[in-house]
Amino acid sequence: MTSKKIINNMADNIDPSLFEFADYDQSKGELTGYSNYSFWRSTVQVFMKNKVAVALLVLIACVVLFTLVQPYLPGQKSPTQIYNNPETNLQFRNVQPNNEFWFGTNSIGQDLWARIWSGTRTSLFIGVAVGLFEAVVGITIGALWGYVRKLDAIITEIYNVWDNIPTTVVLIILTYIMKPSIPTIIFAMCMTGWLQMARFVRNLIIIIRDREYNLASRCLGTPTSRIITKNLLPYLVSVIMLRMALAIPAAIGNEVFLSYIGMGLPVDIPSLGNLINEGRALMMDPSQRYQLFFPAAVISVVTISFYVIGNVFADSADPRNHV
Amino acid sequence: MINDKEKLLEVKNLKVEFGKRNKKFVAINDVSFNIYKGETFGLVGESGSGKTTIGRAIIRINPAASGEIIYKGKKISGKIDAELDKELTRKIQMIFQDPMASLNERAKVDYIVSEGLYNLKNYGSEENRKKLVEEALSEVGLLPEFASRFPHEFSGGQRQRIGIARVLVMEPELVIADEPISALDVSIRAQVINLLADLQKQKGLTYLFIAHDLSVVRFISDRIAVIHKGKIVELAETEKLFDNPLHPYTKSLLSAIPTPNPRVERNKKIEIYDPKKSHFDYDQYPPHWVEFEPEHFILANERELEGYKLK
Amino acid sequence: MAQKTIEEIINSEVILSVEDLVIKFNLRGKELTAIRGASLDLHKGESLAIVGESGSGKSVFNKSFMGLLDANGRIESGSIIYKGQDLSKYKTEDEWIKIRGKEIAMVFQDPMTSLNPLKTVGKQVQESIELHQNLKGEEAKKLAIEILNDVGITEPERRYKQYPHEFSGGMRQRVVIAIAVACNPNILICDEPTTALDVTIQAQILQLLKNLQDKYDLTIIYITHDLGVVANVADRIAVMYAGDIIELGSSEEVFFDPKHPYTWALLSSLPQLGIKGEALYSIKGTPPNLFKEIKGDAFAPRNPHALKIDFVERPPYFEVSPTHKARTWLLDSRSPKVEPPLLIKKMQEMGAKRGDIID
Repeated sequence: MTSKKIINNMADNIDPSLFEFADYDQSKGELTGYSNYSFWRSTVQVFMKNKVAVALLVLIACVVLFTLVQPYLPGQKSPTQIYNNPETNLQFRNVQPNNEFWFGTNSIGQDLWARIWSGTRTSLFIGVAVGLFEAVVGITIGALWGYVRKLDAIITEIYNVWDNIPTTVVLIILTYIMKPSIPTIIFAMCMTGWLQMARFVRNLIIIIRDREYNLASRCLGTPTSRIITKNLLPYLVSVIMLRMALAIPAAIGNEVFLSYIGMGLPVDIPSLGNLINEGRALMMDPSQRYQLFFPAAVISVVTISFYVIGNVFADSADPRNHV
Repeated sequence: MINDKEKLLEVKNLKVEFGKRNKKFVAINDVSFNIYKGETFGLVGESGSGKTTIGRAIIRINPAASGEIIYKGKKISGKIDAELDKELTRKIQMIFQDPMASLNERAKVDYIVSEGLYNLKNYGSEENRKKLVEEALSEVGLLPEFASRFPHEFSGGQRQRIGIARVLVMEPELVIADEPISALDVSIRAQVINLLADLQKQKGLTYLFIAHDLSVVRFISDRIAVIHKGKIVELAETEKLFDNPLHPYTKSLLSAIPTPNPRVERNKKIEIYDPKKSHFDYDQYPPHWVEFEPEHFILANERELEGYKLK
Repeated sequence: MAQKTIEEIINSEVILSVEDLVIKFNLRGKELTAIRGASLDLHKGESLAIVGESGSGKSVFNKSFMGLLDANGRIESGSIIYKGQDLSKYKTEDEWIKIRGKEIAMVFQDPMTSLNPLKTVGKQVQESIELHQNLKGEEAKKLAIEILNDVGITEPERRYKQYPHEFSGGMRQRVVIAIAVACNPNILICDEPTTALDVTIQAQILQLLKNLQDKYDLTIIYITHDLGVVANVADRIAVMYAGDIIELGSSEEVFFDPKHPYTWALLSSLPQLGIKGEALYSIKGTPPNLFKEIKGDAFAPRNPHALKIDFVERPPYFEVSPTHKARTWLLDSRSPKVEPPLLIKKMQEMGAKRGDIID
């Protein structure tokens, strides 16, 4: 009760002129919240707050940029040429990293430095190509599968059949039938990759397709295509981005795997898969381990970076994380 | 009231089913009523009674299993041609219950309000579209600059008004309002009720007002239909229904209306509705939908009707 | 059932005393003040209704009595005294375990989310008995069946073995109430206990709670936005707005003689009081943003009767009667006289006819 008295005493000191009616402004009551919100700007802002992700993004950007410009830099060696020792006229076999061969050479005298960047370039190309294809086809089919009820049964059947064939088998058969090359391996991976993406998108769409805002759009006569692009996919940006970011390292990993079992690219095309495969053969010899170490390091950096960047981006593209 | 009222919408023996073959569930069973032009028709029922399904059948989200829905003399249930479809999209519109769920969070208010216009492609120039959006926003008491914002920046009441604005740009004739205020706070409800009433006056709109709260429906409806388990059990002008409820279910609903008056509330007696006890032998004498008095319909069998007449 | 008079309530012992409670939340680097110095005395055996809109802080306020604040929330200052202990100082779960259930129990809005779908209903009631009442096995089962019977579940022996999904919404809420009662608490907090239910069921649940209150000697706090529920059950009413109790009084006082402009507006905007064909009284605008510091009276920007001082100084509580107080400058002797809106006058007239029943 004492506290009340104090408040009352304080109240006694108030300027009596304040006990008048204030001007009442109706529109003030409507002004709430914050304005100038932009989805993408907020996404970037939240992303930028994560220092690790930004660092990895810079790193990946540098790697990509470097693989592109590396062949045009002065003093670079060819990734495929076999270098001979001019003194002995023998191949530079398994040379440890030195001033001449920065990452050493392989068992037939090719420059590992040049091969690694060339291989990274090939693998990234495969990864991005497969990732993009999976995204475009997977999202399109997944969206139709999830939203258009009439297509549900048909696509589900196709999916069941296709999905029951193990991915590895499809990959192996396709690369076996066709001539081993970059397009072949991309084609083989695309054939299987979109499946998971499509199912993933379908499941997400089924969760949100009957929400009231989609019914509202139907009542307004919005065509299916626009409901998908305007109402459904924007809600899935964050998760789809994550899947895409993961599809790239997964494709690289698949290529490594195929090359590892000898079904991948021909040996004359350097790729991370071929390099790791070569390095693996020499793994038991401690002095030769650099041949596995360098390509493994690159693939680790690429995979981890995409994974972290994808996750952080997915979080930052979620409006619940925007203030 | 008057018999020369123009029938805007007729629902005849409507039946709506969900599920397939052996797992069929009848949500709406043999429901008939008319909505007159310019009136507010209240549809009251508890959750699961099928009231929302009726609204969605009229706006053609849920297909009718049998029966007919007739709008201005044209049949609109079942297969209809593209032109009629477009016309109906424009003339029959819907306001949804939950303003938090019924707006596309990833689109700006500008797109949300003009979504219908984009579909009809009837706005002429881009400038004209902007103008229409601004007009619709100011009609619902929102500021034109809100067009460039996203829904999550608004409170529940404001969001519901955005939902109304998007309906208004279509210039509809019949608006189905499915529990438009039950998700709103008490202080906001009155804003939205007033807005709906004003718009009706200005634009001569006809409302199908779906709700579970009888006190709200009483305030805004001209006539009320009470629905229970997929069947309309009673339909009458609002005050007639409140003065002289006949069906035991209506009586039970009316007795349960909460009143903001502690003295009344404490002495309230609720009539419990138990279909088995309240009705006379429905297995043998099934009930029919009959016009008991002019404009007062009830679901009852002969024996019950006699009882009602005695009162 | 005899309704307690307001005098009996005020004179009975204070069971829970909240003073100057301030609760803050950290939300994405920003600070939100959810409760801004609210005080409240809860008397033994009463039914207190806390009325407010979403965001008024009514749920947060009550959750703080049970240590159920979200992880990003904290009690900044103030005290919650229960049985001589200051609950606001409790830190660990071990301390709260002694309070939750045994002393203060809660019934939530949605019965489905508070029941375990994988356990039989009876088992869930029995567990609550075993945990809080030191009974085991058959004895506990017997009591569980008795309680199920008390909450109006017919054939309790058979229903004991059923799962929540076999119950209707109203029946589930009865089970939730049975679980809460089985803890044998002193205080029962009902957070929107009937919002998810149909009107006819709603009335039955409220009647049940009133009966249980007598039988188990409970003190009940109802949290709700529904003034019909409030009128039905409450002895006293606390009106919350923007994290503060702005009016507190007996049910009759708040309904028939409200003093705060927000309470006026809240009552006036009810469709039950509206006149058909005329506009309903409506409050303009939206509740304040609690991220911002609120100066003066939080309701002032939406209040057509606002005084200049409402924007400068927070009003203290003014006593209307020993049981009725309100935080509004309109009650200050220096303020100009403001007539309440027409509908409130009507309510006042109704209130003046003592003992009358109006329909």
